[in-house]
Amino acid sequence: MGTRFNAILPGLDYDEGDRVFLLIKREISRIEGKLSRFRRESDISEMNRAAFHQDCMLDDELYDIMKACLFGNEITSGAFDITLRPLMEYWKNNQNVSVPNDNWDNLRCSLGMQQIELSEAGKSIRYNSANLEVDLGGFGKGYALEKINEILVNLKVKCAFISFGESSVLAKGEHPAGGPWKIGINDYLKPGKSVYRFEINDGSVSTSSNFFLTDHGTLKNHMHVIDPFTGIPVEQCISVSVMAPSPVLAEMLSTAFLVMSDEKIFEVLDQYDDLEVIKINYESGKTRLKLYDKINT
Amino acid sequence: MYIDRRKFLEMTAALAGSSVMATTMPWFNVFNNPAPVGKNASDRVRIGVIGVGSRGRGLIYNLQELENTMNIEIAAVCDTYEPHYQRAIEQTGGNADAFFDYREMIEKVELDAVVIASPLHEHAHQTINCLNAGLHVFCEKSMARTLDDVKAMYDAWKESGKIMLIGHQRLFNPVYLDALERIHRGDIGPVTMIRAWWHRNTDWVFYTDTGGRGTPLDRQRNWRFYDEYSAGMITELGSHHFQVANWVLGNRPLSVMGSGSINFFTDGREVYDNFAMVFKYPGDIHLTYDCITSNKHNGLQVQILGNDGTMELESNMQFEEFPADPPGLEDLIKQILGGENEVIPIGGATWIPDAPLRLGGKYITPDYALDDTLLYLEGFVNFIRKGAAPEKLTNEGYHASIWTLLAEQATKTGELVTCPEKYLI
Repeated sequence: MGTRFNAILPGLDYDEGDRVFLLIKREISRIEGKLSRFRRESDISEMNRAAFHQDCMLDDELYDIMKACLFGNEITSGAFDITLRPLMEYWKNNQNVSVPNDNWDNLRCSLGMQQIELSEAGKSIRYNSANLEVDLGGFGKGYALEKINEILVNLKVKCAFISFGESSVLAKGEHPAGGPWKIGINDYLKPGKSVYRFEINDGSVSTSSNFFLTDHGTLKNHMHVIDPFTGIPVEQCISVSVMAPSPVLAEMLSTAFLVMSDEKIFEVLDQYDDLEVIKINYESGKTRLKLYDKINT
Repeated sequence: MYIDRRKFLEMTAALAGSSVMATTMPWFNVFNNPAPVGKNASDRVRIGVIGVGSRGRGLIYNLQELENTMNIEIAAVCDTYEPHYQRAIEQTGGNADAFFDYREMIEKVELDAVVIASPLHEHAHQTINCLNAGLHVFCEKSMARTLDDVKAMYDAWKESGKIMLIGHQRLFNPVYLDALERIHRGDIGPVTMIRAWWHRNTDWVFYTDTGGRGTPLDRQRNWRFYDEYSAGMITELGSHHFQVANWVLGNRPLSVMGSGSINFFTDGREVYDNFAMVFKYPGDIHLTYDCITSNKHNGLQVQILGNDGTMELESNMQFEEFPADPPGLEDLIKQILGGENEVIPIGGATWIPDAPLRLGGKYITPDYALDDTLLYLEGFVNFIRKGAAPEKLTNEGYHASIWTLLAEQATKTGELVTCPEKYLI
């Protein structure tokens, strides 16, 4: 997943905790082996190689994953899009190129999840564009948290805090001291200070941003998020955090909300009762928080 | 950050005068204190290259880079194999005198030094004759095919007062410069084991048009397959890593045991296509080493295992045994242990490592674009101008070469092999 992983498993003795952790670790490795585009042998790499203009058979798990991604694309009106990696590469290699130009336009038009055909009957996938390359970077951590949650349920672990690089966290059960887990969202401009607090039992908080943070708090890879509606990188320094019972939903929505208008975000919120969303704008050296409260819509 | 030439010089300058530099890698000092390079023809260091096959050809390219900066000249080239002889003439633009016999070369051409990249079994007589002829020698690793030849080279070097360096190029690699310093200052705690391996998936056939294994031409061209000329991967690959282990531990092994076989490439080659060894060092530290040429999954690596961390020297990575938790997580654990539940800033933008995407690891040293063989040759030329090289540099090559052959002996006899007294220096 390209980040660090932490698990707090309160109330378990060392051996039990070790056993649970090893099972979690094994599951993460399995998922990584299946979904990472960095691994040539992964199912995703295999699919990317094989699915152009021919039906590529998927196992049940990958079929369900692709179905979930198409669902995410649908409920976000196209904002959640797992096919934009080639555009990201384009901008990495052509930082000073002005658009529109033919190369960029042709590439942009050849991407998008509408180019994917998923067949329920055949459990297969087909790409209608040679440029298409699925990248589950905005999905994988949420999916892993979903699977880890299944492990915890099966093992009857009632209380846990799981984190992928702090951007995707799962809080299970109650906080050991009682009450919900109080998850603060770090203020990038004032490290160590919370800009907002989510309170959560059995759910997940996912944060997406168009920057990453290193150990030293330095901002890296600014503008790595592509707006699927314009085909150009998101320039504003922003982050979105979504709290949802489902880690996958939180992951997909936080990614999509980065590029969605307020109006469209509220349309999604109207379909759910249990979401909480904030957007933080760090432009001009200030921290500006926006809470999407659907009561106000 | 990236290590370019300037950064490399800063790194070596920062360590100049330190005890770790003085005791483990004094040769790096030469970059801070290079010999003056005169511009006249009389100041030119004239070098002959003996053996211009695959490795020798690469070394000529390296030397040609130095021709631009260090006032050296590739004055002569030599190879017994006609196509390579011709190729070297072309490569040097016809400027170097070409020979089939190195004896003729060192007799007829006025040289300061030779670079030897011939098959292993030729190293000893070539090195000894060149030293005796008053030439400095840079000889590719490993030193020689037999223990007696290795010792004879060493003795000839001592006798000659000339420079003799052995081409274990990791000795001049910037990663090792940083790693040695960190290991010595205790970054990974006490070193308790070294694991190293070299795994490839290749038939290792350098020349296919030789008429097959066992023909005279095949014995000459694919000499690495024949016991008379080489110990195969033990001398051609393992020697590099045995040198690194000695260097890191600052010691020579006490003993070695091992086993090898041919289990896949049964094409008539005489050397192992896989082997495994265990070296024991003072302080009850072991080096385990294995080599295979029918599977490349693991690649090549030298892992230095310490009580507090691990260094992977071939990939420039360092891992902590107990990496610090993210600050928010530490606070959360404290609260749980203290029975409190307050808000903690633990969510936010994704954390990513500074180093490549390897969980928990970080670079030992920034990425670099410096060729360690080129740096080694630059050092060689500097030492020639200065008239001497650090003795420890030659000794590194000697010990690695001796223990390479003792390791081979262990695999052949199945015995625990120690170093006979006559090879101790």
